[in-house]
Amino acid sequence: MVGALIALAYPLPFETGGYVYYETVGFLVLLNAMLGIGWNIIGGWAGQFDFGPNIFFAMGAYTAALLAIHFQANAWLGLVGAVAVAVIVCAAVTYPITRLRGHYFAIATVAMWMIAQPIGATWEFINGSRGLFIPVSPGGGFVRGMLTMGFPGRGKGLGFYYLTLLLFALTLLGARAVEHSKLGLYFRAVRDDQDGAEGIGIDSRLYKVIARCLMAAVFAAGGVLYGFWALSVLPDQVLEVNWNILPMMAAVVGGLGRLWGPVLGSIVLIPISQVMTATLGSGPLAGRGIDLIIYGAVIMLIAGWRPNGLLSLPWARWAQRLRGRAPATAVKG
Amino acid sequence: MAPLLLLESCTKRFGGLIANRDVSLAIAHGEIVGLIGPNGAGKTTLFNCISGALHPDQGRIAFDGVDISRARPDRVCHLGIARTWQVVRSFGRMTTLENVMCGALRRTNRVGPARARALELMAFTGLADKADALAAGLTLADKKRLEITRALATGPRLLLLDEAMSGLTPLETAAAVELVRRIHSELGLAICVVEHVMEVVMPLSHRVVVLDRGEKLTEGRPEDIARDERVITAYLGDRYRA
Repeated sequence: MVGALIALAYPLPFETGGYVYYETVGFLVLLNAMLGIGWNIIGGWAGQFDFGPNIFFAMGAYTAALLAIHFQANAWLGLVGAVAVAVIVCAAVTYPITRLRGHYFAIATVAMWMIAQPIGATWEFINGSRGLFIPVSPGGGFVRGMLTMGFPGRGKGLGFYYLTLLLFALTLLGARAVEHSKLGLYFRAVRDDQDGAEGIGIDSRLYKVIARCLMAAVFAAGGVLYGFWALSVLPDQVLEVNWNILPMMAAVVGGLGRLWGPVLGSIVLIPISQVMTATLGSGPLAGRGIDLIIYGAVIMLIAGWRPNGLLSLPWARWAQRLRGRAPATAVKG
Repeated sequence: MAPLLLLESCTKRFGGLIANRDVSLAIAHGEIVGLIGPNGAGKTTLFNCISGALHPDQGRIAFDGVDISRARPDRVCHLGIARTWQVVRSFGRMTTLENVMCGALRRTNRVGPARARALELMAFTGLADKADALAAGLTLADKKRLEITRALATGPRLLLLDEAMSGLTPLETAAAVELVRRIHSELGLAICVVEHVMEVVMPLSHRVVVLDRGEKLTEGRPEDIARDERVITAYLGDRYRA
């Protein structure tokens, strides 16, 4: 509740103060948190590490851009189309690799990403390495912007912040519904013991496909947001490796397999990376990647100190101690 | 009445090794069959073929008239065969209750009824007080009990127990045998028990099937099997022939 109020109010001081950059940071935090929740479904719950989810991010961005360019389709319509395309393609390419387990599944997802890169750079239908540019109609206020994902001129930072907050909230609610449903239980059963799961009637291949399709849907939606934010879809941008790594890192740092893990991870990681790019990316050390080194060190520290993620810290006990009550003893099996 | 499970001359090879040769077997509704044999006799391979983890190279397996020789494990489970594993396969990072719910969700898509059914069965098998414990933290005896409960939750007509009592203390073994008896008498399931501990199988089974080096040596009533020369030889070797 408090979190929701903070999330809603976050950009307002920057909007009035003119520091639009911090709205962009907020946009990136929410976008990566949303992608992280999506990745957590396959990586955290179903236990299949996917190192190439950004192909669905790219697919979403391209689909919405093509629909906008050729059919003047509304961005939300484009989003529906993008999610549909990503889910269908995901089901088709994922089913064959669900025979693979563990590392081999992960390698197959990397292979898909590597195949996607030259396709994105050379396929004439999507304009190859020149990319696509999304037309935006001029004029209109905040409401029209929200309905079209187009904010010509000022108001874009605020607009995209709230657009992303909306989709983030939908993703979070959707994931929470899945977590305690049959799907969520079956995903975790496949993760913990695939043979055991099959023995009690779970078609492990089907549920791996479903998990990855849910992730693909979230990534496609994220790709649409990013495309309309950047107003362009360039293959080296939407297939950039960070769209694979950051959502995954957010989930791992925050708490793998926990609903709020990617959210916390994203809140911690993205501002660190942005602040360091902004402060260390220029000046005497510029161009030597010092920001990335520090960023990597922070991730290593958190991973080494709390391998189960920040959410695994005894938050409940701390909260109770603050309230002055004795901590409840854990029930021993 | 046609048997519930019917194996017709099943053969399974792993390269040059023949794990099961020409094994035929029938299990009737509501029957407890003991499957015994020395280590490496092919008991677990036969279980794997029945439950769909492996498929026989030759021969046919039918469950309630349906050919399941090539069926995948989840399909076999849907038809009504549930199994446990020699090495436990509980879902370690889920609670005991969630483990059993996963089994119960075979028969419903809704979590509420699955939870109710799971709690009911856990009360039956004596796991009710461990509902919220993580499966990874249970004792071996409780893990094996959990596997049986989870298998029961799928609503099977035939339960395959692969060494559900090995590695347990005498007291735990007695409790497990008692549980199998109650599953049979109160739930009316057909049960096939794999064990290589004779003391467990003999008093429990209506009928005992003996495997040796992949082949079916003999089958019959427990008291006859215990006196069978060939069985004694297979277990103890020629030197100890009575």
